[in-house]
Amino acid sequence: MKTLKIWLFSLVLTGLATVGFAQGGKKGEEVKIKTSAVCGMCKATLEKGLAYEKGVNKATLDVESKILTVSYNGEKTSLDKIKKAVNELGYDADNSPAAPRAYDRLDACCKKDAVH
Amino acid sequence: MLSSKRQALFALTLFGLLLPLLGTAQSLAGRVVDAANGTPLIGASVIWLGTSQATSTDANGHFTLAPAPAGETAVLISYIGYKPDTVQVQGRPHIVVQLRSITSIQEVTITGKQDRYSAMTPTNSQIITAKDLTKSACCNLAESFETNASVEVSTSDAVSGAKQIQMLGLDGAYTLMTTDNVPALRGLATPYRLNYLSGTYIDAIDIIKGTGSVLNGYESISGQVNVRLKDPEKTDRLHVNLYGNSLAKWDANVNTSFTLTPKLSTVLMLHTDQLTNRVDNNNDGFLDLPLGKHYNVFNKWKYNTGKQWVAEIGVQALRETRIGGQVGYRSGMPQEEGSFYGTESETDRFSGFSKTSYTFKNKPYQSIGLILSGARHDFDSHYGSRTYNGYQNSGLANLIFQSAFGNTAHTYKTGLSYQYEDFQENLAGQRLKRQERVPGAFFEYIYQNSTNLTLVGGVRADHHNLYGWVYTPRFNVKYDFNPNSILRLAAGKGFRVANPIAENVASLISNRAFYFQNNLQPEKAWNMGGSFTQYFEVGERKGAFITDYYYTTFQNQIVPDMYSSPYQVAFTNLNGRSFSKSFQAELQYELTSMLDVKAAYKYFDVRTTYNGELLRRPFIPNHRAFLNLGFATPFDKWRADLTGQWFGKRPVPSMEHDMNEHESSNMMRTVSPYAVFNGQITRAFKRWEVYVGGENLLDYKQKNPIISADRPFSQDFDASMVWAPVIGRVIYAGMRFTLK
Repeated sequence: MKTLKIWLFSLVLTGLATVGFAQGGKKGEEVKIKTSAVCGMCKATLEKGLAYEKGVNKATLDVESKILTVSYNGEKTSLDKIKKAVNELGYDADNSPAAPRAYDRLDACCKKDAVH
Repeated sequence: MLSSKRQALFALTLFGLLLPLLGTAQSLAGRVVDAANGTPLIGASVIWLGTSQATSTDANGHFTLAPAPAGETAVLISYIGYKPDTVQVQGRPHIVVQLRSITSIQEVTITGKQDRYSAMTPTNSQIITAKDLTKSACCNLAESFETNASVEVSTSDAVSGAKQIQMLGLDGAYTLMTTDNVPALRGLATPYRLNYLSGTYIDAIDIIKGTGSVLNGYESISGQVNVRLKDPEKTDRLHVNLYGNSLAKWDANVNTSFTLTPKLSTVLMLHTDQLTNRVDNNNDGFLDLPLGKHYNVFNKWKYNTGKQWVAEIGVQALRETRIGGQVGYRSGMPQEEGSFYGTESETDRFSGFSKTSYTFKNKPYQSIGLILSGARHDFDSHYGSRTYNGYQNSGLANLIFQSAFGNTAHTYKTGLSYQYEDFQENLAGQRLKRQERVPGAFFEYIYQNSTNLTLVGGVRADHHNLYGWVYTPRFNVKYDFNPNSILRLAAGKGFRVANPIAENVASLISNRAFYFQNNLQPEKAWNMGGSFTQYFEVGERKGAFITDYYYTTFQNQIVPDMYSSPYQVAFTNLNGRSFSKSFQAELQYELTSMLDVKAAYKYFDVRTTYNGELLRRPFIPNHRAFLNLGFATPFDKWRADLTGQWFGKRPVPSMEHDMNEHESSNMMRTVSPYAVFNGQITRAFKRWEVYVGGENLLDYKQKNPIISADRPFSQDFDASMVWAPVIGRVIYAGMRFTLK
């Protein structure tokens, strides 16, 4: 029973921590990057990938326009680092091309020459 | 059946006659829907393959496409966020296409989680995804089923640490195990087979209830567990997993993959687990689980031309040593009164497989494939003074041709197989030898109308050198009342030659005498049943409700009888009836965007005739319940899982040694219900994951799991009467590092 309590407690803590994280978006900079994303899955890949980048608070991709909007903390990361992160996920970022290996490993429908 | 054949012939003739006209005469209409929930897809593009002639679907998902410009017979359907699909439409004026929403292999979806119950397959199938596999202490296959309701894993005895799976209330031996759809880990490998595949080798697991398809042989009776191993083309460049637990057992896994040329890739997977710490938490003088060292290497190669040819080769080698028994036991001590009781086993296994397939040019539905596999399994063991040694050499060849009659509404798979088995076992001086040579042929016909009906009928004929002709028919029907309500029916036959000792290793850890009836026959059973799946949405959140019922009845079974006498286990042919009735109801629902719930109730009625009396099968509870809560924050940065399993009352053989008090010679007692909880919390970073968890959190243990533990060399000693955990609470922690 004691264990169960500890578990529940930690679950609650986890929940609280998450809420804390979610609201911890510092006032930072925002940049719009043109990517080679083509579909909803790319959106998921990019948004999740950037969520794990240091200093990135939020990233949103608009599939239609292929524009990725990133709000970030300029003290912890830089525009170059963010673009590099996008490239390493397999997508072009403005003028810097996708990392070939990452691009090769994208799902067929996420490649920029895929038929949509 | 007849009419559809006639239809097929008719279509074939028509097709031949109209061939020159086809391309010009046929406009195409149809509908595009989401495979998971059947909602129409608006604005999906439909294009004649290789042309620029295209259209898109309207608000109801309907489309009409003008005739193909140059007689193309295939259309490509694509939609943002869904996997594109190429459909052969020869002679079909109307098609319904189900597109699957993208559920990435790399598990990167945020909302569209992979359906764990597939809406597409004709059989009742579930998938344990790579993400599910990280929800429990996934060190080997046994733990992979932890968060799944259909497959149970139980400890077979209190000494050896062996674990067995169960489906439909039937022993794991009746479940066909395949890796990458090649039969594997059969026969003498059964006792410890769940340890032979590390969780890190596994990409996903398919669980199929019922007899399934005839393609993989005649052995499956209760179902099939297919383990999809990591794909060299898709897997991570480097994956490291380290695990340690409070019993001081530790695991280390390293996977590394290389792309050597654009067509050739390989993955090398290494696993070891070690336990050198002696644990006796229940103070019965016996180790709660054996000391052990396990080394395991798996190397898989894939050659993919991207066009017609694909080939895969895999090889595995493993070595496992175990020492269990009394705490004071050391290797090589004499096994007699006055010494310490011990068990030791050493297993060496080497196996390999290859798969080659050729897809015909411009006919994506027609292909030919060859599967070859072989294994050498070699073990030496002793359980107390009882030695048990043996080996098994297996070879299998399977040639499969798949094509269509006229159009892809009528497809078929046919082929030839050859199986070779060479068994030798030596139990305390008794030698058992068996050689099997089984050539066979199979044919499976699949009818799929364009809307809601799939019929699969398969039959195989094998000639067994020991038992003559074996015929195995199997049928599956899938009918969609609507895209969210799916009915499946299945009926089929299974046949297998039992390996009574390997399938009952637990009984070796007792001083029961093993008695084999002369002329043990192969096991044969019919399995019939069905499932109903209802997908639903409540408050924008998706869920699924699945009920299924299966009835398995044995025409012959090798019955291990521990009832008649506590001093022996007798293996006899079934004399009377043996059946299993299994009912399961499962609910899966996304409670909030962060919380998934899975709850299931299972009812089993499993009975066998022992000595002319139809009795409940020992150790199998009538009622079980299962609950899994899965919590994940956005992007899975934090994940937490809690799984509870409740087991109702169950009968176990009575150990009363005074036979005179009982009217019946079959003695039984009932043991009380209990519940087991497991939980885990994972924190993910960019390349790292750290996890901590606990198994058997409430620390529920069976009291005195070993009968006469203080007198292991007496007649009464028995460690096989185990129905609940022997090991109490185990806390573990670990980390994963991944380079994509």
